[in-house]
Amino acid sequence: MRIEERLYTLRYKRDEQPHLMVKDQELCKRCNEEYGSPCIGVCPANVYSFVKDRLVVSYENCVECGACKIVCPFNNIIWKYPRYGLGIALRYG
Amino acid sequence: MKFDVVVVGAGCSGSVAALNSAKKGYKTLLVERGPEPGSKNVSGAMIRESDISRFVDIDGLPFEKVVKSVKLVFSTKANSVELRIRPRDKLYTVSRLKFDKWLAQKAEQAGALLVTKTTVTGVEGNKVITERGGVEADYVILSEGANALLSMSLGMRRELKPEEAVLGLKEVYSMTRDEVNKRFGLQGDDGEAWRVISDNPIPFAGFVYTYKDSVSLGVGVPLSNVKGLKPYEVLDSFRSSLSELVKGSSLREYSAKVIPENGFPSFKACNQRVYVTGDAIGLVDPLTFNGIGPAIASGYLASENLGQCEGYERALLQEEEVSRIVRSRTLVKELLKEENFKFYVNLIVDLFEGWSSGDLSKLKYYKSNLWAMLRHLTLGLGVVG
Repeated sequence: MRIEERLYTLRYKRDEQPHLMVKDQELCKRCNEEYGSPCIGVCPANVYSFVKDRLVVSYENCVECGACKIVCPFNNIIWKYPRYGLGIALRYG
Repeated sequence: MKFDVVVVGAGCSGSVAALNSAKKGYKTLLVERGPEPGSKNVSGAMIRESDISRFVDIDGLPFEKVVKSVKLVFSTKANSVELRIRPRDKLYTVSRLKFDKWLAQKAEQAGALLVTKTTVTGVEGNKVITERGGVEADYVILSEGANALLSMSLGMRRELKPEEAVLGLKEVYSMTRDEVNKRFGLQGDDGEAWRVISDNPIPFAGFVYTYKDSVSLGVGVPLSNVKGLKPYEVLDSFRSSLSELVKGSSLREYSAKVIPENGFPSFKACNQRVYVTGDAIGLVDPLTFNGIGPAIASGYLASENLGQCEGYERALLQEEEVSRIVRSRTLVKELLKEENFKFYVNLIVDLFEGWSSGDLSKLKYYKSNLWAMLRHLTLGLGVVG
């Protein structure tokens, strides 16, 4: 099953303000060359992808695990919680 | 507004902290960022009755199944070994949403005020700042989970390194009660839990839990081992190795969580008026997979020792479960290394395979690693201690 299909099982309430952001796109480029972008590799929700040299962050899909900020070698991800209880809401957990 | 105690996070640790603090007569606020307690929480969710009943009246505990049998599997590409243990303790599977809600309700009944959909964004002196405004508090208990943004901003701990974190991925499949029982050969409320230690395709720990009307499965993958393979590809491979277990049933939920493998005492559990509990100081026992037990103990101990920082840290170290976690840190660090992980899984499988086929020649290879094994054994004995 594709990740997108798995994410359909989750209830999301989208925060209009992104809770994940990249600090510096240049560092992402460097990271991709040197380390192969570990955030893309680790993310269980395919939040990160490269589109034309830019790291795109689809924060709406985030399952709030926090793995990306741990593996980022440049500490280049601004990682916060979605505001006001937005983001995912699990039924089982 | 002013409170005696503000607890951040209505997970099991925070709710027990709030419950006990309210019981002791402190005016207590319990702040939860999710829409309801448990809605942001993920775990394998097997609990030991004695872990809970020491601190909370367990009447009405919303359990799923009573785990009567634990299956332990060691698996390599070549072969696998299966052991079945009847646990001595009373173990339950629980759904975190129901369990965490139940605990938070207990805190409310004891007099704590629960506020949901609110994220605490800072602690400055005696001010707790949330996105809906600030409150004053004499004491703050941070039960904020593995992504402990507040504890980190206060300098009480640092970010985990990749080699200190495991990524847990979980899937819940819905199935009728009869179907769960049929597929696992169970009766009534009896349940089964599996632990799988495997090095194929990369080192990971797998689990399977039976619930009332569903089955969950998942993997824990050390973050430092994620190379070229996505963690969910490891989950896919694990699921397909389970063959018929969840076939034909639909996926009900997919979730993920970082499991800390380092923390207290190198992360500070207390700093003047701020106390940190549970996952935020890495209180998961990686050897027994128990996170809820130590989380609850730490929440209780924090609220018991308000105003006595050192007393809290001492109480943590005296708590059996927590002390074992602390003593096992060095061993676990060793065992999480890919080469050691692979070595032991293969050793166990080769040992049983050799024994059953009457050919132990394969084991000669392990003789050359005797010193490393002795060192790990010594570390292991320290854990048993």
